[in-house]
Amino acid sequence: MYGWIWRHLPGPLAVRVALAAVLVLGAVALLMFVVFPWAEPMLPFNDVSVEGQ
Amino acid sequence: MRTFGEVLITLGLVVLLFVVYELYVTNLMSAQLQRRASADLESQWEQGRQLHAEPLDGKAFARIYIPSFGADWNFTVQQGVDTATLEIGPGHYKETAMPGEPGNMGVAGHRVGKGAPFNDLDLLNSCDAVVIETADSFYVYRVLPMRDEVAGWAGGRAKDPQCANVAPLQDKQGAYADTFGRVIVTPDRGDAVAPVPYRPEDVLPKASQAALLTLTTCHPQFSDRERMIIHSVLTNQFQKAQGANYEDLLREIGEL
Repeated sequence: MYGWIWRHLPGPLAVRVALAAVLVLGAVALLMFVVFPWAEPMLPFNDVSVEGQ
Repeated sequence: MRTFGEVLITLGLVVLLFVVYELYVTNLMSAQLQRRASADLESQWEQGRQLHAEPLDGKAFARIYIPSFGADWNFTVQQGVDTATLEIGPGHYKETAMPGEPGNMGVAGHRVGKGAPFNDLDLLNSCDAVVIETADSFYVYRVLPMRDEVAGWAGGRAKDPQCANVAPLQDKQGAYADTFGRVIVTPDRGDAVAPVPYRPEDVLPKASQAALLTLTTCHPQFSDRERMIIHSVLTNQFQKAQGANYEDLLREIGEL
């Protein structure tokens, strides 16, 4: 998978390294700002209030 | 086979990243929200604006201090306990009493991530102060006797100067039989923030209710299987004199 992505990056080595870094940062940002905030409320921790009388 | 392995490694990294998110990144986001809420509250008090008798949902209306967590430990208290509000800081259960009122003021806060205002709630001892500041007053609540301290209270902890105005509520009315300094309950015990904790709303008339402050957070840490409940009782109340601040209050109540 990673090998396939690496082979399909265009340009000389320096450009490929830069592109790979951008891809990694993009994936991390997507997880941090979109996926995790969305998934978090469904996970079984960090509910702090009592409810239901 | 190789791709399968790479997918597994990737999933492992994602889980690790989630831990980083939960423990650090949410703190950064909440710190930003808390700073803004704190500045808003400050300017609102400075201008003496009292546009709304009732606090607005999700907006700060008070400040909470716990001197035993350090002189600079404080958070704004927002109205409501929904997810977005608790990201800013501790939240006030809307239906419960307001600061200083007889009955029970309920406040929820995160223990892990999101600024973790109530991270150390398990370290509170009986008679530790919890201070609520409003536009015009400081209200000093103190943690009630723990379950195992009630029996020997008069001969033991009661002699501590911190405990001057604290006594087990069990002595007075049977209604408060289950109200101790620290109680662990299941998440469905909404009555932990009832006017008389763990009793129906109408068990005591308002005039004979004690003025309580109840803090709730998740328990055990990193889990939401149970809730930790800290009950405290109003012991002093100070009108904010001109220029008087939290440090003066600490000196006044012997915490500095």
